Amino acid sequence: MLILGIESATESVGVALGGHDGVIAAVEIARGRRHAESIVPAVQFVCRQADVDLAEVGVVAVDIGPGLFTGMRVGIATAKALAMALRVPMIGITSLDLLAFPARHSDRVVVPVIDARKGEVFWAMYRHVPGGVQQVMAPTVGSVEDLAADLMARGQESLCLGDGAERHREVLADVHHCEVAGPRHPSAGALVELAHARAVREEFVDHHEIAPVYLRVPDAQINWSTRQVRP
Amino acid sequence: MTVDEHTLVLGVETSCDETAAALVLGGDDVISSVVSSQIDLHAEFGGVVPEVASRAHLESLNPVVARAIVEGGIDPSRIDAVACTIGPGLIGALLVGVSAAKALALAWDVPFVGVNHLEAHLYAAFLEDTNLQFPLVVLLVSGGHTMLVEMRDHGDYRLLGRTIDDAAGEAFDKVARFLDLGYPGGPAIDRASDAGDPDAIRFPRAMMDDGLDFSFSGLKTSVLNYVRREPDVASVDVAASLQQAVIDVLVHKARRAAHEVGATGIVLGGGVAANRLLRAEIAAACAADGIGAFLPSREMCTDNAAMIAAAGWHRLRAVGPSPLDIGAFPTMPLLDQALIR
Ligand SMILES: [Zn+2]
Repeated sequence: MLILGIESATESVGVALGGHDGVIAAVEIARGRRHAESIVPAVQFVCRQADVDLAEVGVVAVDIGPGLFTGMRVGIATAKALAMALRVPMIGITSLDLLAFPARHSDRVVVPVIDARKGEVFWAMYRHVPGGVQQVMAPTVGSVEDLAADLMARGQESLCLGDGAERHREVLADVHHCEVAGPRHPSAGALVELAHARAVREEFVDHHEIAPVYLRVPDAQINWSTRQVRP
Repeated sequence: MTVDEHTLVLGVETSCDETAAALVLGGDDVISSVVSSQIDLHAEFGGVVPEVASRAHLESLNPVVARAIVEGGIDPSRIDAVACTIGPGLIGALLVGVSAAKALALAWDVPFVGVNHLEAHLYAAFLEDTNLQFPLVVLLVSGGHTMLVEMRDHGDYRLLGRTIDDAAGEAFDKVARFLDLGYPGGPAIDRASDAGDPDAIRFPRAMMDDGLDFSFSGLKTSVLNYVRREPDVASVDVAASLQQAVIDVLVHKARRAAHEVGATGIVLGGGVAANRLLRAEIAAACAADGIGAFLPSREMCTDNAAMIAAAGWHRLRAVGPSPLDIGAFPTMPLLDQALIR
């Protein structure tokens, strides 16, 4: 079963194609053009390179956040529309799951940390267990000081990954037993691999059921002078 | 590709607070048109909140597109092109539509066409009256825009005048909020005016005989000052007098514009074109001048995707498809077609 993965919850954009034999083609743009411009051309590119017709895709997987709202929505809107038009099911995976994936064999507590701007970060915690990975703390948003205090209280060896961890490296470096390491961004390759594991278990959802993980309510502070225009 | 009367275009619109999709055949035959309004979501804030709008678009877009296809009674394989608003509008809102529309075009292997939202408003009248003769003067009035455009042919426009500050709809919105008449302001002012006296207060008619540009910020200020000075004034009289002042200027200038370019008629477009007094006065002015008055239905004046599909059909025929690496242009002007490439 061929899986198309689309990932755009952070500054990076990724599109990958793969399945039973792993990732067969992938594009990763760590920082470049704006997401909306690059995703569809990236889908065309991976299909061409892998000599795959888009109609052969059987599942569309997407990073559902948390992350930068506009960026993640672009990826989710693209993925949902593709799934509807191709009439295939979807698999949604959080950006934090994706970021933790490369460190899944670590015996430390793995803490993916995504920059949420405004001095905050999104994070979750995972632990290696026999046969896989267990989430020990659900995705949340807060200040990096909150995260540091939590890690300190746990007192376990931990590994922080992601652009949020890098941005606040000094704060996290003060935490005992805590190391900050790569990768910076979730990858579309990880998305395809994780989605494949779920596809094998037939854990599909319909495109209507894909729900973004925002973790923050909209900032609805407006006044007369900053009103947006109605075109 | 050949673009003709058999070409079926899916239009997508997400530039502000309406999620819309429509199927239009041959540029003017509306097969289906679905609009999902977010008015209720924004009412508590008294204005459109961009992040709230973007979230709602993402949630509604697939169901709205699916409904347009089902109501059109066609199989998606019959769709020949996908057209979508690329600007102007709220950037986050636009990007949801552009991303989804490009994805649909890619998956169905059909051309994608980026459409200017303002240009699409010009096409709304053609969906209901296919016998319009050029040149035409279009009075486009909404919460974000007030402009007079000469339409010399499809895709051939000249900006005759525009607001130098607030849009007419913006003045309605702000005064309606100040008077606590409800949201959105345009319909609220229209309703309240029914019970008011339009001659109760003489508000200024700015730049009345001064070119074809408009200015409404002085009017808004003068209304707010008046109400602060005379707190016991009836809101309905303020609403009716404000509405009369705005419409006097709009009609006067549209009429002069039509005369100057020798237009066959005046076309109304934009959300404020649903205002009943404006429609009546434009109709009366055109009848007096012996030219046509083209007043699209409320559904076509306000944001919808049928006008996007229609404009997309014309653009596809005249210019061809847009590239799939196109983004959104929040401040795109009407005449800068180069942005669409
Ligand atoms: Zn509009």
